[in-house]
This record gives sequence, C-alpha cells and structure tokens, in this order.
Amino acid sequence: MPAQHTVSAFDTELKDLSQSIAEMGGLVEKMLGDSADALQRRDTVLARNVIERDARIDAIQREIEEKAIMVIARRQPMAVDLREIIGAIRTASDLERIGDLAKNIAKRTLAIDTAVTLPKVVTGIVHMSQLVLAQLKTVLDSYVSRNAERAVAVWNRDGEIDAIYTSLFRELLTYMMEDPRNIGFSTHLLFTAKNFERVGDHATNIAETVYFMATGSTLPSDRPKGGSVTEISSLTSVL
Amino acid sequence: MSLYTNRKRKSVITMMLCYGAAALGLSVLVIILATLIFMGARGINLDVFTQMTPPPGSTGGGLLNPIVGSLFMTGLGVAIGTPIGILAGTYLAEYGRHSRLSTIIRFLNDILLSAPSIVIGLFTYQILVAPVGHFSGFAGAVSLAILVIPVVVRTTENMLMLVPNPLREAASAMGMPRSLVIKNVAYKAAQAGMITGVLLAIARVSGETAPLLFTALNNQFMSTNMSAPMASLPAVIFQFALSPYVEWQQLAWTGALIITAAVLALSIGARALSSKRT
Amino acid sequence: MLTMPLPKTATKVKVSINNLKFFYGSSIALKGINLELNEREVTAFIGPSGCGKSTLLRVLNRMYDLYPNQRAEGEVLLDGENILSPKQDLNLLRSRIGMVFQKPTPFPMSIYDNIAFGIKLYEKISKSEMDGRVEAALKRGALWNEVKDKLSDNGLSLSGGQQQRLCIARTVAIKPEVILFDEPCSALDPVSTAKVEETIDELRTDYTIAIVTHNMQQAARVSQKTAFMYLGELMEFDDTQKIFTSPSNKRTQDYITGRFG
Repeated sequence: MPAQHTVSAFDTELKDLSQSIAEMGGLVEKMLGDSADALQRRDTVLARNVIERDARIDAIQREIEEKAIMVIARRQPMAVDLREIIGAIRTASDLERIGDLAKNIAKRTLAIDTAVTLPKVVTGIVHMSQLVLAQLKTVLDSYVSRNAERAVAVWNRDGEIDAIYTSLFRELLTYMMEDPRNIGFSTHLLFTAKNFERVGDHATNIAETVYFMATGSTLPSDRPKGGSVTEISSLTSVL
Repeated sequence: MSLYTNRKRKSVITMMLCYGAAALGLSVLVIILATLIFMGARGINLDVFTQMTPPPGSTGGGLLNPIVGSLFMTGLGVAIGTPIGILAGTYLAEYGRHSRLSTIIRFLNDILLSAPSIVIGLFTYQILVAPVGHFSGFAGAVSLAILVIPVVVRTTENMLMLVPNPLREAASAMGMPRSLVIKNVAYKAAQAGMITGVLLAIARVSGETAPLLFTALNNQFMSTNMSAPMASLPAVIFQFALSPYVEWQQLAWTGALIITAAVLALSIGARALSSKRT
Repeated sequence: MLTMPLPKTATKVKVSINNLKFFYGSSIALKGINLELNEREVTAFIGPSGCGKSTLLRVLNRMYDLYPNQRAEGEVLLDGENILSPKQDLNLLRSRIGMVFQKPTPFPMSIYDNIAFGIKLYEKISKSEMDGRVEAALKRGALWNEVKDKLSDNGLSLSGGQQQRLCIARTVAIKPEVILFDEPCSALDPVSTAKVEETIDELRTDYTIAIVTHNMQQAARVSQKTAFMYLGELMEFDDTQKIFTSPSNKRTQDYITGRFG
C-alpha cells in the first residue's frame, strides 16, 4: 500500500475493509476444506456444521458491501483506492459464491445413501479439492499482499483443475454406464466435482481482481484451459 | 478580580473621553452653522440673487456679480482641471502602475494636494497676471484648475485601483485593446467614485479665496468677461466682512451661507452617489 | 462517473505546447512543458496550488503580457503557428482563444450589453442580427431561460452561478476556437457547478477546451484528457480514465487519492 492518506480515517476504513475480506477468506477456506473432509470421511456431523456456517459468510459479504458503499459515498475514492474498494466488493462476492458451493458439497455428502460404498473415484475428487484449496489459499495470500505475480500464477494453474475435472467426469460416466444403480451417487459425485471446479473458477476471478487492484490493468479474457467444453460435449456424444 | 474591575474602570474613563471629544467637535460645528444661519438667513431675499453689490454705505443691493463670477470661474476651472486630472489618474492606475515615473508623479501630486492655496494663487499671478499687466477671471479659473487637478488625480487613481483586476483581465481576454478596456470597463466600474471625486473637487475650490485675490481680484460690477477682473463670492465675503459698513457685513454673512449651502449640497450629492455604488 | 473517451478518429491536435518555460522575474514557474490539446476534447489540468497549471493556461492566451517581468520561452503552436512569437496580434489571438475566470466577472453593464459588447469588437451587424446572436450565446451558456425577460438588467444583479454562465456565454459569443476555464466553479454552489459542467460538456462538441480545477471529481467528470502538474513540471498526461483509475506516476496517484502532505 502507498503512503498514508491525509485523512487518516480513510486509511482506517480501507484497512477495515481489507481485514474483513481476509477474515471472510479464512472462514471460506476452512468451510471448503471441511466440506471435502466430510465427503471423504462421510462425516454427516461435519457436513451439517458446514451447512450452518454459510449464513455467517453471507452476513459478512453484506457487511463488506455496505462498508464499501459507505467509503465510496464518503471519500469519492480515486485510482488505487477506487480499485481497492471495487476489488473488495468483487472478492467478497466470489468468496460468498465459494461458500455456497461448499454448502452444496456438504448437502450432497448428506444426500448420498450411507449404505453405499463409494468407489475409488472419491479419492480423485479429494485430490482435486486439495488442489482447489491450495489455489484458494494462494489467491487469498496474494490478495493480502497485493501480489500480482502470485495472482497470475493462480490464474495460470486453473487449467490443471479443469483437466482433472474432465477426467473425473469421464470416470463417473463409465460407472453410470456400467450399472444403473451407480447413477444416484455418481450424479451427486459429479456435481460435487463440478462444484470444486467452480470454486477453482472463482479463485481465478479473485486472481483477476487482485491483478487489477495491484496494477490497474486487466488480465486477458482467454485464460489457458485444460479440459475444454468441446471435449466434454464430444464425450457426451458417446452416449 | 481587581484587575478586571480596574480594566473596566479604565474602559469607562476612555469611553467618556471619547464621547466628550466627539461632543466638543460636533458642538463647534453646530455653533458655526447656527451662527451662520442666524446671521445669514436675515439677509436672504430675492435681491441678493438679482442685484449687484452696492457701493459703500448705501442700502439694498445683492450678490449677483460675485455669484455669477464664482460660477464662471469654478465652472471653467473644473472644466480645465477635470480632464487633466482624470487622464493623469488613468495613467497612474492603468498604464504606469509599475513605473518609476508614476511613483514620482504620485509623490508630487500629494504635495500639490496639500500645498497652501495662497502659493498657487501667487504662482498663477506670476505667470498669468504679471506678464499681462492686469487681473483676469481666466487667471482665477486657472488657479482653481490647479487646485482641482490633484484632487481628481487622487480620486481617479484610487477608484480605478479599486476596480478588480480580474475584470480587466476578462475584458482583455476577449481581445479588447487596452484603451477600450479602460474606457468601457474600468471607467464604467469606477464611474460613481470618479464623479464623487469631481464633486468633492468642486466643493473644495468653490470656497477658495486666497488664489482668487491674486488672480481675479474683484469687480464691483457685473462682468462675464473672462479677461477682465471678476467678482467671486469668497473674495466679496473677504472684502465686505472686513469693511466697517453694516450692510456690507450683512451681505458677507449671506454670501457665506450661500457658499456653505452649495458645498453642503455637493457633499451630500457625492455621498449619495458613492453609497449607491456599494 | 468517467466520461468515455472519444473515438480515435475524431482527434486532431489544436494546440501543441513544446518545451514551454515560464518565468516570473527570475523565478521559474514552468520547467519545460510538452503537451497537446486535441480538438473537440476537454483537457483538465490538476495539481496542488502553485504547480503552474493556471500559469500554463495564462500562457495560452498570452494573458501574462498584461504584466511586466513575466516571460515565456519555448513554443505554443495554435494550428501550427507559434503564438509566443512577438509578431502575434494579441487581440486577434484572444478572439480565437477565450477565457473564463475563477471569479465571475460580468462587466458593469446590462446582460445584453455584456454579450453584445464582445461581438461589436469584431463584427458590425444589425440590431436584429445582434439580438439573434445574443440569444444564441445565452442559450449556449444555458442562461437564456433565466434571463430572457430581463436582458436590460445589470449583469451584476445575477447570482454567482448565473454570472459565471453569463461569462461563458460572453466568451462563446465571439466564436473562439479554444476556451480556457480557470477554476470556473470554485466560487459556485454544487447546483451551479453542475450547470456549468453541463455547459462545458455541451461546448465540447464545437470547441477545444482546457480547464484548470482543484476539484478532482470535476476533472474526472468533464474531461477526456487529464494533465497532472507538480512544481512546474508535467508529471503525467493521459486519458482521464487512465489517470483516475490507474495512474502510472506515483505522485499523480498520491495526489488524486489524497495522500499529499
């Protein structure tokens, strides 16, 4: 952050906003990690706990938006300050969506019949979740340090997650084709994998936001992609 | 606390002294005016404005020739002095604001402004009366003009200085040449103040006696010939007031009242104009 | 909040400032400025007091010529001609480059004459034609509806905001090519400010405009290009959008975000 403002209350407000984002990020990160654990261990208590925590995330997001609006109204921020506040609003909304996705994963964990023994594919999903968590952690660090380079690294690595998702999709499709009784839990697992993949997308959104906050320019619209949509549609055409 | 009471006492004493001084000053003025009105009003009648000054010892007569003489000489004096004064004041405020010459002119003008009028009378006598060999109304008018000039220069300069510079810049920014900026904008903005200055100058010279005694002298007959000696109210008052004749003394009082009333009217007019401006 | 930049095709350089230096006596106020004003664009000059932005504006119409001991070096090209040349006819120059000042300066005459006066300097036209010109100018200054029934009133009887718009109308009436605004709203209330800004925005379609302002939001609102000056130097000059979202110079950033000591 550059030198201090002449009006020190402005600094306090910006710092406050930034801290709220950091706090929200920490909560969301934990929530997502727990949702993955709950899936892996089929821990319904933890899953319910994750679902309950989403309300708090929504509340923080509203709080951040209100604070940001107030700063805009009171300070008419310019340049780096303006980007800072717009960045906070955008990041908060991405984090809120990640919270929703974590909640959805937890819900699906509860929905899968406890009698069913899950196949090995779950390990793949858990592995994917670890990658996504690492991405989320890095991007939140880059937010705190306003580090454009690390944000770009996150942005570049999302292709890997997409590739894993595509292979999980293929695997689950095979299960469903093998035995119609697999379709129930496979669909839930497919959505879970999709949710983790979406979290990855939100992480890259945040990376773009951080890059904008730090440099003032935007990253190009086409980002390196691992599993393309065309590849998936060509897979479905096999059915 | 005693410090406070002490200070309060001092304040009361100072205030009393101020009131006293003001009352003293005012009362002198009131006494003068009262005496003047009391003594002068008795002689006011139509004859004063229609009859010539009487020969010594005779009754009747008026002040027609000195009134006309005063009007002529003051009029001509102001007519000569005002344009010179305004142009000089314009130079000081507009063209030569930062020049060395202006500083010198301003200094000399201030000296002229406070020069005793008798000196100016003597000066005019030396250049316009002595070489010609006789007194004249024209010489009187010139001596009055010399008195008018410094007053008008001063007020013109001050009034133009009061015109805000951004106004001049705005006019210049429209591509107006300097002369037009002064004529159409600066003069218009300073108009009321400049007219006030001229009125004050008239008031100042209409009561002058000393320069006229050396230049126009006096004339006990009606004359509008500017190259001959000419009567004027102040000179007649001077002459009649010192005379032993009661009729002349009465006319002197009446003349004094007329001049005072005229000067007062001019001053009030000037005050009214300058207050309208703000 | 930020006005969109004009399409690239519309831009043509109207005024080109090359290595301009300015001196008040022996102290230097502008230390070699290079800048271009595009036609039909509003260029805003911002910077802390004493940075030379007003001085720069006053060079563009040679206002400094009114005062001794002020001199400019370098080149200011208006349509390719150097206006700093001693051969330049100042009154002609000022008819091409108009200026609106910080404090409203209506002339001490009627509203009608305030406008007609400037026109009479350059054109001899009939009364009816003059009426038309006065009306057109007042409409351009967004003042017509407020004064059409009292054109013979003294210009000084108007409110501050109206006086300023009268000054804008007066400037527009003589059909200049460039209009310079020197903090035109610093003495006005927010409503009048908005009206003046609206007027400036409308004038942009026909004129090249330069505006000095202390109000950064105003610069952001009305201009397409912004120049940030500091201690007599041009620190940054770019699209307004760029300056107010991601300036490249640290001093610019500190200034517009309120981080100046």
